[in-house]
Parts: sequence; C-alpha cells; structure tokens
Amino acid sequence: MGSSTSQLSKELLSEYQELTFLTKQEILLAHKTFIELLPPESQNVVDSLTAQVSRVPTEKVLTLPELKANPFKDRICRVFSTAPEKDSLSFEDFLDLLSVFSDAATPDIKSHYAFRIFDFDDDGTLNKEDLKQLVNRLTGTEEDTQLSPSEMNQLIQNILEESDIDRDGTINLSEFQHVISRSPDFTSSFKIVL
Amino acid sequence: MASFYLRQRSAQSDLETPESVSLSEVFWEEEMESLCSSKVALRTLPYAIMDKRLIRDLREPDMVKASFWERWKKKWRQVYQQLLDVGLRLTGTFGLWKPDLYEIGGLFGTGIQSYFTFLRFLLFLNLLTMLLTTSLVLLPLVWLHSPSPGPAPNISYHCPTSRESQLSMNQIHLHLWDVFTGRAFINTYLFYGAYRMGPENDSQYSVRLAYLLSPLTCLFLCFCGTVRRMVKGLLHKQLLSKDYRPRLSGKLFASWDFCIRSREAATIKQHSISNEFKIELQEEQRSHQMQQQSRKQRAQLLLSYVGLNMFIGLLVVGGISAIYWATKFSQNHKDESLSLLLQYLSPGVIALVNSLGPLVFGFLVQLENYPPNTEINLTLFWCVVLKLSSLGMFLFSLRQQAVLCIGRSDLSSCEPHNYNQCDQCWETSVGQELYKLSIFDFFLMLAFAFLVTLPRRLLVDHFSGQFWVWLGREEFLVPKNVLDIVAGQTVTWMGLFYCPLLPLLSSIFIFFTFYVKKYTLFRNCRPSPYLFQASSATFFFQLVLLLGLLVASVPLIYVISSIPASGNCGLFSNYSAPWQVVPEAVAIRLSPAAQKVFYYLSSNVIWYPILILLSLTLTVCISQSSANKKAIKGLRRQLLWQVREKWHLVEDLSQLLQDSRGPDSWGPRSPNSQSSHPRSFCPGFPCPGSPKPRLFTAESTHSQESQAVLTPYGEEAT
Repeated sequence: MGSSTSQLSKELLSEYQELTFLTKQEILLAHKTFIELLPPESQNVVDSLTAQVSRVPTEKVLTLPELKANPFKDRICRVFSTAPEKDSLSFEDFLDLLSVFSDAATPDIKSHYAFRIFDFDDDGTLNKEDLKQLVNRLTGTEEDTQLSPSEMNQLIQNILEESDIDRDGTINLSEFQHVISRSPDFTSSFKIVL
Repeated sequence: MASFYLRQRSAQSDLETPESVSLSEVFWEEEMESLCSSKVALRTLPYAIMDKRLIRDLREPDMVKASFWERWKKKWRQVYQQLLDVGLRLTGTFGLWKPDLYEIGGLFGTGIQSYFTFLRFLLFLNLLTMLLTTSLVLLPLVWLHSPSPGPAPNISYHCPTSRESQLSMNQIHLHLWDVFTGRAFINTYLFYGAYRMGPENDSQYSVRLAYLLSPLTCLFLCFCGTVRRMVKGLLHKQLLSKDYRPRLSGKLFASWDFCIRSREAATIKQHSISNEFKIELQEEQRSHQMQQQSRKQRAQLLLSYVGLNMFIGLLVVGGISAIYWATKFSQNHKDESLSLLLQYLSPGVIALVNSLGPLVFGFLVQLENYPPNTEINLTLFWCVVLKLSSLGMFLFSLRQQAVLCIGRSDLSSCEPHNYNQCDQCWETSVGQELYKLSIFDFFLMLAFAFLVTLPRRLLVDHFSGQFWVWLGREEFLVPKNVLDIVAGQTVTWMGLFYCPLLPLLSSIFIFFTFYVKKYTLFRNCRPSPYLFQASSATFFFQLVLLLGLLVASVPLIYVISSIPASGNCGLFSNYSAPWQVVPEAVAIRLSPAAQKVFYYLSSNVIWYPILILLSLTLTVCISQSSANKKAIKGLRRQLLWQVREKWHLVEDLSQLLQDSRGPDSWGPRSPNSQSSHPRSFCPGFPCPGSPKPRLFTAESTHSQESQAVLTPYGEEAT
C-alpha cells in the first residue's frame, strides 16, 4: 500500500473521509480498483480524479465481481451516476456507491438509496409496475420460479395493503422507510465490500 | 450552485411551463436553506459527493474568517476520528475470521453466515469464561502457594495406590485411553477434586468464594449477553401484530443479499425467494379456507394436532428413559472393564437418540398435511426439546448414581454401585463424564464430516446411477448444526462447577469446528432450498441458547445450595453445602454493620419493595403501549384523510384552471383517476433522481370526475 498512498493526497483523502462513510484503507482500495477499470491511457491519478476526463462506462463497472451476480446491478449504476445520460461513473460516484453500501453507513441513507434503486421508472414512488418488476428481478427469469399473473396480483395486493398507509396506491419514501425499519436484516444484507 | 440548478433545468426543459419552474425553484430554495442551516453530518446526506461539497461550502463560506476556536475544534475532531478508526481496527473481537465470514456470506447468503457468526460468539463466550475463572480462581490459588494438587492426604482406609504410578512406557494404550476418559487428569486442575485450600480464616483471599461465585457470574453474564442479542431480532417475530410487522413487504424489500457474488448462489437465492413467496401466498389462501370451515372440521383438525404432539411427546419420553437406563448401567459397571462400549455408552446412546429423533419427527409431521411453516416449526421445536432434555436427564441420572453415596460412613450400601471409598469424589466423576461427553461430541462431528459427508460427496460425484442422483450431496442444515453446537455449550456450562477448565477445551473444539464446518460447506454440501433469514435465525439461536443455559443452571443451583460436597476432596469438604461458604465469609470478613446490611439484603423482606416496584413499572409500560397503539390508529386515519383531501383540492384546482384557460391546460390528477400516474416529490428534493412534472392532457371524463369530487366529505370518509 506504500506506493498508492502517495497517489492520493492527504487533503483529498481526509476530504473523502469527511464526505463518505469509508475508511482510508477502503478509499485507497476503491481507487486502485477504479484505476484498473479505466482505459490504459488515463490510468494515472490526476486523470482518474477529474470527472470530465475519465468516467467508466456502466458496462465495465458491471464486470466487477461484486456486482456481476446482482440482479439490480444496472439500477445501482444508474442511481449513482451523475452523468447527464446516466451511463458512466466517475471516481466520486464510485466512492458514493461504496460509501452507501459500506458497513458504517446509517440505515437511513441505505433505505433512501434502496428506494431509489427499486424505483424502476424514477418517478419518486413505487407503483404497481415497479413492484411487479421488483418481484420479477427477485425471483429470477426461469420458468419455474416466476410467479403466475394471479399470484403476482395477489402478492402486490397484499403488499400494498400492508405498507401503503395513505392508500394512494403507491409506496412513497416514508412508507418504504417504515417497512425497512421493521426488518432488522436489511442493514446487514444491503452491503457491498470490495 | 451549478450542479443542482443545471440538472433541474435540464430535466424540466422539455416539459416546462412558467408555473412549474417557479414552483420547483421555490422548493429548491427552501430545501437548500434547510440543508445549510442544519448541523447534520455531511456524510449522512443522500446526495452525490459534488453536491455535498457544495453544501459544505455554503455552510462555511469563508474558511479564513473562521475563528481560532472553530479551527482548533475541527482539528481536534479530525484527530478524534482518526483515533476512533485505529481503535476500531484494533478491536480484535470483530476481526477474527472476518474475511472468512465475508466469503461465506458472498457465496451462500447471510442465513448460513449467521451460523458461523454464532460460532464466533460462542468462542468468545467461552474465552471470557476461561479468563474469569483463571483470574479469579487459578492464579490466586497458585500464587498463594497452596498445597499442590494431589490425592487426599488423610485416607485412613486401605487403598490401592493410584493407577497412574503403574503405567509404563509399554502401556501406551492405557495412557491414551486415560486421556480420553479423563483419568489422566484426575489430579490436575481440570477437575474439581484437585483443588485444595486451607481453612477460611487463614488467607485474605477466599478462593472458595471465588470458585463458587465464578460459575454463577459466568452464567449470569452469558444470560445478559444472550438476552441483549435476542432483543435485536425481536421485531421480526410474531409477537407483534400485523400493523407493526409488514411481513410480506419486509420480505420483498429486504430479502436480497447484496453481498452475494457468485452466479450459482444468486440463482439459489432467487429460487428460495420465489419459494417463500409462493408458500406465503398458499398459506394465506389456506387460512382463508380454514376460516370457512365448519366447527366439526376445526375440532377434528385440533384433535389430530394434539394427538400428533402427544405421540411425539411419548417418543421423546421413551428416548430419554433409554438414556437414563444406559447411564445407570454404565455407572454401575464403571470400573469393571475398560471396554470402549461401556465407557462411552451414555454419550453413544444420547447421540443415537438425537440423530434418530429428528428423522422420525420429520416423517411423522409430514404425514399430516400441515403448511410448510408449521411443519418446520413443529419439527424444530421437538428437536430442541429432545436435545436439551436428553442432556438434562443425563445429568440427573449421573447425580442419582453419584449422590446416593456421599456422606455415609457405612459403605456397605455403596458396594452395589461399586463406589469404593477411595473414589469418594463424586464431583470429579461427574466432571469426568461431562468431559467424556464433550470429547465424544467433537469426535462424532469430525467422524460425520470425514466419514459420512465426504464419502457421500465422492460417491455422488463419481457414480451417475439413479440412486446417487436421488441421494445427492448432503444439505447444510443450519438448525441442526446450531442445535449441536448449543448442546455442546450446554454441556460446557453444566460442567463449570465440576470441571473448571472445560471452557478452554470447548474453545479449542469450537475453533476447529469452524474450519471443519467451513470445509464441509464449501466442498461437500449443497445449500438447503429453505431460506433461513438471518434475523429470525439470530432470534432462534439465542432462544435455544437461553434454554440450554436454563437446563445447565438449574441443576447447578440445586447442587450448590443443597447437596453436601464429598468429604475428602475439593474445596468444600467440611461444609454442609457449598453455598455455606458465603455466610461464613460474610461472618469472617465483613464488619458487623456490613453484616447486618448483608443479612437484610439477602432476607426475604427485600423482595417486597422490589416486587412492588417491578409491578408499577410494568403497569406503566403496558398503559403507555396501549396509549401508543391508539395514537397510531388515530394518526393513520388522519393521514388517510389528509391525503384524500389533498387530492380533492388538487383536482378542484386543476378543474378551476381548466375552466379558466380552456382545453389545452395541464394539471396533475389524483391517483384514482383512470389514466394517470400518481406523483409525489421525493422528500430529498431536489435530488438527482427527482421526479419530473408530467403533462396531462385533459380528457372528456375529467369533467364527470370533478363532479364526483365536489361531493361533501361525509360520503368519502371511510
């Protein structure tokens, strides 16, 4: 780790530590991983940190072993990307991603981002279509694991009955966070560590 | 300023109308103001890093003008943060096996990972117990130069010299055998009998008191630790009503393990999630059906349920009595021969009963047609009952044999039990039995791992017949493994008084168990299709551990308080019961005033005020919780009303706008209208994924709906 310590300046490291939940080791490891994803001509420190010059396209990020098997990988990259077309990640986006998925992140921020990941049409609420797509992603694409349409409708009906407190047919962020606060597993399963 | 505003602009550029821009600007300004004025830590805000930088700069615009005090405080905070980081990294407790646990979680999910976390927890419990015992009992004993451990000095009867002196190098079998039966360690600190101490008045430090109190303290601390961990998983349990426990939604939103890295594990997880959903839906339909059953059918169902449970109860009683007879038989013929069968008869019978039991229970439960959740819970319940009661019965029958002979001067009645006077240390023999059980459990686990699971995997992989395909690899069943490990821990706790160094042995066994189980999981097993969620798993583990603790502590408290210790070995030889050390120590060491206080505190009178206080607290808690329930109900109704009112007003407004502008107006629509998506602002507005206002074209049905909207609220209310 000696050589990579000299790559990121101390002020930058402490700034990132202030703005994210990552420790110094984790930030350095993230930088190392990010640099390997960049094309060879921009694999130096200065370029990697300049968002305008070097962004890694989503397809390359999805090759990371931590994300490869995740059914929500495309949504994760989309939510954390700050590019106008939401198709690439800069180093700071990557740090944001790791920060939210780290051990030290608060349950609040995890549930906020989980809501955004599950909101497939990006309209700020989870409506029936979002929930249907969520169920399909969770159960996989094989024949025998998919739910039949009647089962799907029944499931969505039950879920809305349980968690839609204001009965407007959708689940908004507060209702989502209310459900999450009753599930003690969430914080330990919403984790990605390099 | 740039990033927020630019993004909002670009998102809305295609759908702008003057009203929408000003509205969003107002919201945005308000949000920025509240963010800048609040003192919330930056890292907890749900924005991208560049936005957080912006907010930080807005909060403290001029770093130069910050006072010396502010800068110093900031520097100090940074240093403190660094110290905290270093400290966290150094805390070894969370560092042991961390990479292994991540690997397991990544490949198999958090359910199986929780078993290994539980193993680590037990390891630390045992090490702490060991630490406590060593520091309170062993070190002072050694330091105070007490007489070295050895056989009792004043045996007036004719005894053969101890067998150890007859061993020679040729008899290597006997040597190893003695290790396994514990005879090699009889006169070491491993067992109770070897501890010796002069009379109480002689020394400052009462080793007897320490020896007595350290098992009790350890059990109490383990109890507190277990209860604390259990409460964390309590929210998930069926104790709470449906309002407080959104079961399906929790499953939907929180069941994916984001730490899974391999494709196979992801597929397996998807299968299990799908199974869970299907099972839940079936159960719901089933409960609907059951509610429509007639009384007669319900009575029949109840009867068959009770009948099944009684039958299984009878089987459990049968198994336990087998253990009793086996222990009695082996104790009666203890010193006759050194055959393997007799020495390890009771552990063998216990293991046999506990492996056949679950199979039989599972088979019986499946005969009736219960929903899968009930089946699993029932089988699990009876397995736990069987395991813990077999251990309890083992201890009870040991005591029956051993205790019958203590304190008697005429030994003729002890002869049938072959309990000669040289062996009058019944505590040591009980300790020996527990030691043997512990060793047997560990070697049985090793034997199963290497002699059953491994060959099974090899055979299944190499042959491809129908039978082998059906057999498959062994499933890694988390509940079964947890029960085994809890049983081992219960044995350790039972033996705290008789065999004080047993936790050390137990820690070593757990350490090796971790690696053996990990090897078995990775190489020789397939994951079970039934998902075992981490939180319910934690609750279940802690509950079973608590039950084991109870099974271990009740006999211990009984022995300490009522049974006289054996006459010529150990620390409590002259007392009517080991607990008598405490009043004696109080009388010797405390001043009269302190003695009075102590007697008052230990008398019955102290319990009345405590009881009254507890009942008061309980009453307050219960009334508070029912008041909270009422408040929650009222608030939900209020929320429902207000949301409906909001949408009514919005429709009124859009109707008015439409009337004043003509047919090409726009407006948001309520969620109950036919053709729109409901919209809301995400509370973190503005945020990079914030919703765009949508254009809706007015439809002909709109006018009809608005008529409906304008009816008075009384008809709309629920």
